[in-house]
Amino acid sequence: MSGRVSHTVDMSVKLGELTLRTPVLTASGTFASGREFADFIDLERLGAVVTKGVSLEPWEGSPSPRIAETPSGMLNSIGLQNPGVEAFCEDDLAWLSSVDVPVIVNVSGHTVLEYVSVIERLEVEPRVDAYEINISCPNVDSGGMAFGTACTPAEEVTRACRAATSRPLIVKLSPNVTDIAEIARAVVASGADGVSLINTLLGMAIDIRTFRPKLARIVGGLSGPAIKPVALRMVWQVAGAVDVPVIGMGGITDTEDAVEFMLAGATAISVGTANFVDPTTVMRVTDGLAEFCRTRSIARVSNLTGAMRT
Amino acid sequence: MSGCACSEHAVPPALERVEVVANDRVASGVGLVVLHAPRTAETVRSGQFVHVRLAHGTSFILRRPFSVHRVRGERIEILYQVLGTGTRTLAEREAGDEMDLIGPLGHGWEIPPGIAHALLVAGGLGVAPLGMLAEELAARGVAVTVATGAPNKERLLVRDLFEGVARRVEIATDDGSCGTRGFVTGVCENLLADEALDVVYTCGPESMQRIVAAQAAGAGVPCQVSLERLMACGIGACLSCVVRTSQGLKRACVDGPVFDAAVVLWDLTEIPAKQ
Repeated sequence: MSGRVSHTVDMSVKLGELTLRTPVLTASGTFASGREFADFIDLERLGAVVTKGVSLEPWEGSPSPRIAETPSGMLNSIGLQNPGVEAFCEDDLAWLSSVDVPVIVNVSGHTVLEYVSVIERLEVEPRVDAYEINISCPNVDSGGMAFGTACTPAEEVTRACRAATSRPLIVKLSPNVTDIAEIARAVVASGADGVSLINTLLGMAIDIRTFRPKLARIVGGLSGPAIKPVALRMVWQVAGAVDVPVIGMGGITDTEDAVEFMLAGATAISVGTANFVDPTTVMRVTDGLAEFCRTRSIARVSNLTGAMRT
Repeated sequence: MSGCACSEHAVPPALERVEVVANDRVASGVGLVVLHAPRTAETVRSGQFVHVRLAHGTSFILRRPFSVHRVRGERIEILYQVLGTGTRTLAEREAGDEMDLIGPLGHGWEIPPGIAHALLVAGGLGVAPLGMLAEELAARGVAVTVATGAPNKERLLVRDLFEGVARRVEIATDDGSCGTRGFVTGVCENLLADEALDVVYTCGPESMQRIVAAQAAGAGVPCQVSLERLMACGIGACLSCVVRTSQGLKRACVDGPVFDAAVVLWDLTEIPAKQ
């Protein structure tokens, strides 16, 4: 670890059986597999790299335009463009083999069988430390969020993935539901070792000069500082509803945001859209969390988890 | 233009703190900002861009990509059109203001070895990435012919730069107030018939670039285009800025913005929104 992190603050956190050097992760889809950020940061100082969503076959993604800027945030409809699990293993995992950082692979699929097939392919890869099951992408026509907005399909995909691996299994939850705690309880009862939230909030924007939607797919996922209060509320609700680690995310841009999510109950946090704005955000937040704890004589960063006073 | 030796020597991008040296209006709705950016100035290649952070609150968050128009010592110049929130903010910046950028980014223009004569075709603000290229070509002893178009004489950009380095400059304006009346594509067609050309470089509205690419292909001359896409990260991670090519989806930020026109599958449904 860098000398900037104090020896007096223990920055490690436990996600089930997985011990991470720091609680700062990268939100899936905002960090590729890390290679693009290696010019700007030391990847080995991250708690883990959470990869872009990987599917069984290559996915083309959505038509363009795929993004639109909105107040304090952005909409995206990338649509999980990815080269498929085989190319992911050959390129991304091969590249990551020279980097000493835990790898959490985000797994996507149109059907339960596709999720399971991706995991089966990845099971033989020693470079994979855990899976994050994406049942919350709003930008694909079948699968994705359809699995994450009702308990029964969420349970079904979680059970099937659980049966396919003994590695830590994290399920990424959608905020586009009436009661996110209910979904969280359902996936934990089905074998999830942890939950991560929130994915993007479904939204849209229209160009009033052309009368056309700003996204080719019309609707997309809202991210960035605009969603932080909603995300924080949901992390707090879920942390109170389940007894597994919660990875909190949604608009985290600086240390203060990260501390808030941990106080609300998150064991670890992910930086997402802020990676696009400042590729060094994860390092700033890591240093900032250590400094926050040091100045308050908090011995372990994990002591922040759930420490909100009411 | 993957596989060219030049791209392998490209310098990795970095975050650079820069200072505004000057920021002036050069035509209606168009500004030229000069930035003290020593690292970028030293390492940027023609056709590359910088990703500039213009806001530090949270009203709007994303960076804005701008072509590097010219380099002068430790300074870079950016030509920009005031279109939306980002460029309005840029227009308000004054000498002495600081900001940060990520650069140099992207795959710039390729200058094939041994070429003798290049045609540069610009539409409107498409002159932005062509300024540095024109100077570089001239410095290498390549004859430069320029076709540049604008709505009218007042909105014609950087004519002096081109006239300083090019052997021939042909101008088209929509209203005929300068040069030929009509679109720059008409001028381009005539130049492709008139001149012995080794390569065509173009930047401007995508509909224009598509026509220029077809004209060049018809004349048997290789053509490079510089494409604009909405962009979030600028470093290849977010997949916002994809371009459809015969080799699959490519990222405008790292595989482009300059592409071999022969591989681009033109898609006019991409309408760059205001930035």
